[in-house]
Amino acid sequence: MDDKDLIKRAESELRDAYDYDARDPLFGLSKDDMRGNKMSRRTTLRLLAAGGALTMAQVLPGLRPTKAMAAAHAGGELNCAWAGVGEIVTLDPAQIGQVLQFQIASNIYGGLMHIDNNLVAQGDLAESWEVSEDGLEYTIKLREGVTFHNGDAFNADDVEFTFNRSSDPEQSRHSRVIGNVAELQKLNDFEVKFVLKQPQASFLTKALERSSGRAMTIVSRGGLEALGLAQYGLTPIGTGPYQVTEHVLGQGVVLEKFADYYDPERPKIDKITIQPVDGVEPLAAAIEAGDIQYVGGNPVPTQLVSRFESNPDLVVDIKPGPGFQSIWINPWHEAMLVTDFDKPVEELKKEKGFMVRLAIAKALDRDLFVQQGRFGYGVPAHGTINPAMGYFFDDALATASEQAFDPEGAKALMAEAGYPGGAGFPELKLQTTPNTKRDGQVVANILKQVLGITVLVDPKDFSIGIEEFNKMDFDLRLGGSGGDYDPDDGLVDWMQTASKFNGPDRDKDAMPFGFWSEAESDTAVEAQSVTADPAARRELVQKANAITSNKVACGFLYHPVDVLVHSTSVIVPEDARIPGLHELDRISLA
Amino acid sequence: MASYILRRLVGSALVMLAVATLVFFMIRLVPGDPIAAMLADSGSPEAREAMIRKLGLDQPLIVQFWKWFTNMLQGDLGASIYGNNQPVTTIILEALPRTLSLAFLSFVIALVIAIPAGILSATRKNSATDNAVSLFAFLGLSMPDFWLAILLIIVFAANLQWLPAIGYEPLSAGFWPWFSHLILPSIAIGTGFSAIIARMIRSSMLEVMQADYMRTAASKGLTVRVQMLRHAFPNALIPVVTVIGIAFALLISGAVVVENVFAIKGLGRVLIQGIQNRDYPVVQGAVLVVSAFFVLSNLAVDLLYAVIDPRIRYS
Amino acid sequence: MMSDISAQEQVLDVPDMAPPKSRLRSAFARDRKAQVGLFILGFFVLAAVFAPLIAPFDPNEMTLDMMGRPSGEHWLGTDDLGRDLLSRIIWGTQISLFVGISTVALALVAGVTLGVVAGYYGGWIDNIIMRYIDLQWAFPNFIIAVYLVAVFGTGLLNVIVAIALAFLDDFARIARSMVLTLKEEQFVDAARVQGFSDARIMFRHILPNALAPIIVQATVSVSYAILGEASLSFLGLGVGPNTPTWGLILADGRSFISQAWWLGVYPGLAIMLVVLSINFVGDGLRDALDVRDTGA
Repeated sequence: MDDKDLIKRAESELRDAYDYDARDPLFGLSKDDMRGNKMSRRTTLRLLAAGGALTMAQVLPGLRPTKAMAAAHAGGELNCAWAGVGEIVTLDPAQIGQVLQFQIASNIYGGLMHIDNNLVAQGDLAESWEVSEDGLEYTIKLREGVTFHNGDAFNADDVEFTFNRSSDPEQSRHSRVIGNVAELQKLNDFEVKFVLKQPQASFLTKALERSSGRAMTIVSRGGLEALGLAQYGLTPIGTGPYQVTEHVLGQGVVLEKFADYYDPERPKIDKITIQPVDGVEPLAAAIEAGDIQYVGGNPVPTQLVSRFESNPDLVVDIKPGPGFQSIWINPWHEAMLVTDFDKPVEELKKEKGFMVRLAIAKALDRDLFVQQGRFGYGVPAHGTINPAMGYFFDDALATASEQAFDPEGAKALMAEAGYPGGAGFPELKLQTTPNTKRDGQVVANILKQVLGITVLVDPKDFSIGIEEFNKMDFDLRLGGSGGDYDPDDGLVDWMQTASKFNGPDRDKDAMPFGFWSEAESDTAVEAQSVTADPAARRELVQKANAITSNKVACGFLYHPVDVLVHSTSVIVPEDARIPGLHELDRISLA
Repeated sequence: MASYILRRLVGSALVMLAVATLVFFMIRLVPGDPIAAMLADSGSPEAREAMIRKLGLDQPLIVQFWKWFTNMLQGDLGASIYGNNQPVTTIILEALPRTLSLAFLSFVIALVIAIPAGILSATRKNSATDNAVSLFAFLGLSMPDFWLAILLIIVFAANLQWLPAIGYEPLSAGFWPWFSHLILPSIAIGTGFSAIIARMIRSSMLEVMQADYMRTAASKGLTVRVQMLRHAFPNALIPVVTVIGIAFALLISGAVVVENVFAIKGLGRVLIQGIQNRDYPVVQGAVLVVSAFFVLSNLAVDLLYAVIDPRIRYS
Repeated sequence: MMSDISAQEQVLDVPDMAPPKSRLRSAFARDRKAQVGLFILGFFVLAAVFAPLIAPFDPNEMTLDMMGRPSGEHWLGTDDLGRDLLSRIIWGTQISLFVGISTVALALVAGVTLGVVAGYYGGWIDNIIMRYIDLQWAFPNFIIAVYLVAVFGTGLLNVIVAIALAFLDDFARIARSMVLTLKEEQFVDAARVQGFSDARIMFRHILPNALAPIIVQATVSVSYAILGEASLSFLGLGVGPNTPTWGLILADGRSFISQAWWLGVYPGLAIMLVVLSINFVGDGLRDALDVRDTGA
């Protein structure tokens, strides 16, 4: 098949996917499509479009790394490194706060739903489900014959137990994820019903999702009682494909195949050892020496990617990553003061503080940054909506946004604000974490070159940095989000006046809002999160995204890419390749 | 003698008490919010309140201290405020064998290098061997141990692929897995220490060789070899005992950095991670244990020295 | 790595007088090692003083020539951000030597004062000071420094104060034990009889005679301070990200060493050479001043 055929096929598949029925209120799919235990390819493609995850590579399984893949067989042992971390602190879903933790936990527990490689929610412990006309009631039929690792049988009581535990902020940090649930009803031993307070476009993909959602990842009451909270966090009991047989903090986790898993096809590998590896050189050494055959955890350091790509023993698979990183600009800083974003951009541009703000965002040479800071692995960002969300991603923003790279425009704005060539402008501190220090140095250098201003990088441990960020006690901060599978993850969490990161601990008398507050985008963000119609939702998402970009909610910097590195002896089928996750039960050894 | 030992014991206990108090209050001067670190991206205000109450961080400092102190006396060092609230005692008991293994092996490696080097350079004073040992000792002292650690990883793990680059295996997993994981970090830590001991042995051998009993030994017609190994070396070891206390400090300090290079979660790494996460109970526990070891090893060395060298006055 | 050498309560040979310069010079003239040490050290001191003149590039100037091999233009290659490594090491000399010297100066002044006062007055003053020193003695020096930087925060001044405080007890112990020995000497009685003030007796009469071991300790401590700063930087607890120091260059380069060996080798060599030369000089001083070898 040549390129032309590929593109043709992709186009027709995409057309099919977007061909929804406008009369149907939910996802453009008929009721029959939305219930049952399996989704048709057409339904999947539509949902995929609704989830915004459709990219050409995903439609066409043929677009995969071409390195030879040997024939798979079951069994064997696999050694994994979990990058950029010293220990897997907890595997208790209620306590999990890091992507690299739920990457593992997702293989130990079952959840009601689990996203697939197209970021579409599929039934896991939910065998089938039905959504009411008004989108407020989700009736879920549970899978029967499922057992926990300790032999206990799984039923609706476990769903209730997990729900009650996760709803209690004293016991779980994810109570907000299911905050929209008015009530959970147990209909019988294998049927439950969720009643929502208001419709939620992301209910299946976010609230019930077993990996990133964490609230409805089914925990074992018997296990918790037998082991106690601390030990459960290390060697938990779930219904997932792997059970933890050993976990020593700082040493690693040993997973062994759970013989009674409900799907006899999975898992394939008998034993998986996960070793946390902090530091770049040790990681490279362990992989190149063959001690490690698969890498999970934090993103593989970008300086190693091209080196691994040229290694014939390794497979490197790159996909768009779900996330964004920004330069946050404190609007309450004297030289960058903006007290009210609720004006047209042209009005804002008459204010000195906004001129500086816009100048900084315009000065960000994102291509240079990606090249120097990320060794070429990254995508310039102009909003929170990332390319992994395919359908929602707005290509045009890169050129249309007010904050598109424009060194001359940036210089002119600085001069107009009274700082020609940066003269007289105060020294700014750019807060980073120790890990993003290097990125910060590249940004500081770019701002120095373009605007002539001095920016000092100030790496602080995450705990201190986030505290200052929450208090709005910073000049500039480099930071952002990962694991953003749904537009809500960027817009609701970051871009609303009430967003959880928007200066929650600030002095509210001195600062009426945090880093950003704008009425029009607030409304659009609110509306998109209850809009199920994909086209309408996309319009709202892109509208909000453009406002945050044009009025400089922050200086958007880049979207990371998702890089999977493994040995050629490991076979990773397409359905195991979910950005940011590791479906260990689907991979096998050659 | 008995009263000397008793006084040293009481003194050491008092020092430990003071250390505990100091550590408790000083860590609370550290800027940074442990709750924020813990909750990472999911810090809703409710979860935050719940966490603060659960950890008792809303109580007055003095109440927190009293609780911690009385619990400590019962062997309960509290629970980590990070992750799933592991008991600090568990964390330390897990870390301890790693650091002790590392310290022990580093010490052995240091002795294996230092003893022959020290004896050789003393018996062949001012020879080429002596100069080479002396240069080695200076290099060993001057080389940052984490630099040596990285060079060792690159050469022996990445290029030659003889040894694992990172991690730790307990002795229960078998001798070779344990040993192979520890050999590179032990060399990184032990090299600097071997330099100190080699020089120590050399100078004390030289001193001993001037002593009357050596002349007696020589006059009895013993071979040089026997003179050295039977008589000079054991006596030369006496002052070396004093540096064992120093050894512990050096090994622990070395372990802090080198454990980080090799991703071994020993006491040093527990301490650094605790500091980074503002994990109060863990930092307190780690510092307490490190200093307890240090105080005890100093005590042991002093007592040992008092036993083997009767010239020490017990005043 | 810093160590905790020397502060054992040593029996020290007390020289009759402060060492005459000529004696020092003649001892050095015979000591090849000390000469080499002085020569290397002088070379680095010159580099530090004239850094702005001799560094071929701006040490912070980034280019896209990242991890460039050593070449005619960049003698020691470039780092991961395309900065000239030689220039960064030359500028780093300034900081490393400054940290080393100022740290020890601070620890020396404070530690010696405490030690002299404790030893001279004895009694409850001695008790209080020595209890504190004992307390500090319960921690390895490097752990103290790590802990203090964690409390104070990173930065040049904080690192200097942290390392200085960590070294304080070494100087205090040596000074005190010297004073305890010396204050029974006749010349001290003589000074008292003449009605000199305590301060004058302590710092004009006793201290000069106690200088030899203190000088040796100070010299060795400079090398430990430089290693300590490098170790702190390595743990992310160093001077700060905007100032090139050897420790920092090495720490930053650590993630790139296997692709750009020069990033790991040259800053490490610079540290080693300076520490080595200081140890050579310290050793020479020890011999020349006849201070008993403690193994350091």
